[in-house]
Amino acid sequence: MFAIRQARRSGISALRARGNATLQTPETVDHSSTPAPPLVQAVEAESSTKPAASNANEALEDDEPKKRKGPYKFWPTTRPSISLERPREYNRPIGVGVLPAYDEALAYIKRDSSRLSAELTHCKTQLEAAEKEGNASEVERLKEKVKILEVQSEINLPSVRWKARNGLADMSKPVYRHLLEQRWREEGDLDLLMERIHQMNVVPDMLPSLHPSFDLRLNFPEPPPEDIRLRTRVKRKYEKVEPGVYLLPEQTRKPPMMYATVFHTDTRLYTLLMVDLDVPDPENETFQSYLHWMHPNIPLSSSTTAITLQGTHTKYIPPHPQKGTPYHRYVMLLVPQTGEQPIEVPHFSESDRLGFDYRDFAATYGLDASQGGGAHMWREVWDETVTKIYQDVLKTEEPVFGRMPKVDYYKEMKKVKKYI
Amino acid sequence: MASSLLSLRHINPPLRVAQTSVRYAAREVNTSDPRTDIIRRVLYPSNLRNRASPVGNWRPDVARRLQRAIPSVQAHETIERAWLLHQRHVRKSRQSELDRKFQCMRTAMEKLRELDLQRYRAANELEDPRARSEEELELLKTAKAPEKKAMEARIRGLFPRELRVPTETPSRDGWNYDWVPPSRPTQ
Repeated sequence: MFAIRQARRSGISALRARGNATLQTPETVDHSSTPAPPLVQAVEAESSTKPAASNANEALEDDEPKKRKGPYKFWPTTRPSISLERPREYNRPIGVGVLPAYDEALAYIKRDSSRLSAELTHCKTQLEAAEKEGNASEVERLKEKVKILEVQSEINLPSVRWKARNGLADMSKPVYRHLLEQRWREEGDLDLLMERIHQMNVVPDMLPSLHPSFDLRLNFPEPPPEDIRLRTRVKRKYEKVEPGVYLLPEQTRKPPMMYATVFHTDTRLYTLLMVDLDVPDPENETFQSYLHWMHPNIPLSSSTTAITLQGTHTKYIPPHPQKGTPYHRYVMLLVPQTGEQPIEVPHFSESDRLGFDYRDFAATYGLDASQGGGAHMWREVWDETVTKIYQDVLKTEEPVFGRMPKVDYYKEMKKVKKYI
Repeated sequence: MASSLLSLRHINPPLRVAQTSVRYAAREVNTSDPRTDIIRRVLYPSNLRNRASPVGNWRPDVARRLQRAIPSVQAHETIERAWLLHQRHVRKSRQSELDRKFQCMRTAMEKLRELDLQRYRAANELEDPRARSEEELELLKTAKAPEKKAMEARIRGLFPRELRVPTETPSRDGWNYDWVPPSRPTQ
């Protein structure tokens, strides 16, 4: 029988061995005084045993696997499937008496909330009276106060905050609109979008200033699976796109699913635009824009979630970054229309799409992106799919770009013998 | 409530990256010479990871202790909000009380201005806090150093400071019922 023996240190490892120190060998270890250090898996198991009355908020924290095989992988968190169609009731995070501070805090918040609600009803009656009188300044002051009270009276309630966090926000209530807007603006989503837009130079290249006022989310199908066999057998799910990332041309073959969280209650009209900023212009040795998609007069308000388009204006042409060009930036904009009336934009033909000037277009039709709207962007690089797009959709010869051939100044000289 | 971009939680750094296989005990060997002991301890410090390090650069028990202190993120947030709300209420009530007092003072001064302009001017005059009356100057000449210091530091409007250190039992001389505070100059 083989016995497993510890190999003797030799060569370099012998030099590294520290013979003078006392080592903690199995014989010298005193298990009673110095317990073994806890294992990583044990810590995870401990953190996963949470109190019994745990709600979905706890599930939002990391769900790490119990055992990891192979190299460490970044494990993406999944949101629980709660939405307005599949609502879940709010429960207390911990039981009564577990944390006296929590019970006291809850009581305090409820008292404050009821006091503010009473003040709100009083303010509303005052507002009605002022409106009947016709006192404009008083009406305005009271309207502001009512707005503030509507938010303040419910913003501290844990049930309201939980619902806002978990997709159960009722957009007809100002509290939820306030909480969602605060989350979008302050917890990083807007910052990320603006960072990418400014870093990719969308702002000076396409428009002078862009200040989004609502959260626009784009979903494109996920990239094809690595296993070639599964590529035609697995249905691709739509995944959300982070602004600025690279997408494959086959992901953007079809128009995306667009979702917007709009924070204003009144219905305003927006124009949808999708523009490619990096189409090469060989004659002028520069780059120009290409209009991929346009749709004016889209009504949006806080009650709309998914953006549905009525009919087609300028139909969607999939992005086709040309071979030999550096990466192309694609910008999706929902620009607010300054006028109240719907605008009449003529349909863009195939030839008009190339060389689209956004600044000109915005000036003509009264579109101002600095007043609000939604924005998104991504990048793409040439792929074999682009060849198919040129064959099927555009039905033109695929251009291939490259550097100009180097001028050979010694071409004539090479023909002549130098040494006679 | 989490902050900025890290709240998107796409990054989960691994908990334990490197681990040595050799472990040195803290104090094991008893040699006659304490110097070699010290040298050994300096060259081969203990890397037994049984408990959290006293200086705080290795704390494996943080997760367990945090879980005990803050069992629920939502509860923590609620308590935090309630406390800040309470602080806001206290702050607001103090400020409004102060504002009310200030407004009362202001209306009183306005009324005085309407009634008697001379007295109003007298009430509004600034006072030199370092000015002393003749009485006080006489007292200062004969006073001891700590008394002199206290007199010079006396600010008008504040409660007059007593020089005596409060004791548990009264003094041998008894209580001075006839003590009169030095008069301040009137202008």
